[in-house]
Amino acid sequence: MAGLIDAYIAELKRQLDFDPALAQRLVGEVEDHLREAAEADPSWPSVDAERRALERFGLAREIAAQFAADAVDRQAKRAWATLLVTVLVTLVAMRLRTIWLGSDATLTLAPLVDRYAFLAAVGVAAIGWFAWRRSLMPLIVCLAALAASIIAGFVRAEFFAADAPLAVLVPALGEFALMLLLSFHVVGLGRRLARTAALRRLDP
Amino acid sequence: MDAKACHGLTVASPYLVMLGMDAEMLKGHLDAVVLAALEAGPAHGYAIIETIKTRSGEVFDLPEGTVYPALHRLEQAGLLSSNWTTTPSGRRRRVYALTRAGTAALRERRKSWNRFSQAVDAFLRGPHTWPA
Repeated sequence: MAGLIDAYIAELKRQLDFDPALAQRLVGEVEDHLREAAEADPSWPSVDAERRALERFGLAREIAAQFAADAVDRQAKRAWATLLVTVLVTLVAMRLRTIWLGSDATLTLAPLVDRYAFLAAVGVAAIGWFAWRRSLMPLIVCLAALAASIIAGFVRAEFFAADAPLAVLVPALGEFALMLLLSFHVVGLGRRLARTAALRRLDP
Repeated sequence: MDAKACHGLTVASPYLVMLGMDAEMLKGHLDAVVLAALEAGPAHGYAIIETIKTRSGEVFDLPEGTVYPALHRLEQAGLLSSNWTTTPSGRRRRVYALTRAGTAALRERRKSWNRFSQAVDAFLRGPHTWPA
């Protein structure tokens, strides 16, 4: 008797595999809903009562697609917030490097990359925020530019050769850690966008 | 109507079921409708759907599953809280309630909707006919 609802619950759990915690939470709730709906049907107990309850509920794939779209929004917000913090920490780290190294630091390619890659990241971030907030591309460009700036900053300050003071070392490690966190968010957003697109396609 | 097979069932797509004008309009206001459905007190998903159907005079006949993404979204936003309870029959169910922020959000959305609906109503009534 419980075959149709059980199969639906299994299908919903499979479609929500992009978020196991959500799947775990939702299946119990949906099962309760479907059983209550079936029991309220005049023909209960019958397979038809379950069938009608499922028809009124909607396709598992489309419900999962709505959850996936909401997850994209949350992931995009987290990624942009991380980008903002990374930009601020990188700016602070750059200023501290400049103070520590002084104005007579060796003029090589590294200071130029450090500065202009950072400015490029800020420019793309500003445009991306206003124009393509849910798109992956501005985040990837920002990440690449910030990574170039941060690596150039490390080279410029010769962190691994010189005895950098703690006030310079800590922000530098902070910007590096934030860059890794930002990479994690960008990859996560990419996966969620792909999953949402796959769920929204009508053909399997 | 377009439909797809699922476990031997013919289940209409929510997006296609909601092609009716009322349901299409409801899509953009589902969060506010769910908040309003919980205004009378805490309820679980099935009861929320039933409240929406009853209070709308069966006009809002949306696919029942669409309420769950809305509930989850509102809870994530801090407008709803939820907890598991056990029914007398022993079944576990999640019950949702408005938070203080949810009550304030509902009040705000209600004001905003009143302004919007009055403007649309005035507009759709057509241009003013001035006395000669």
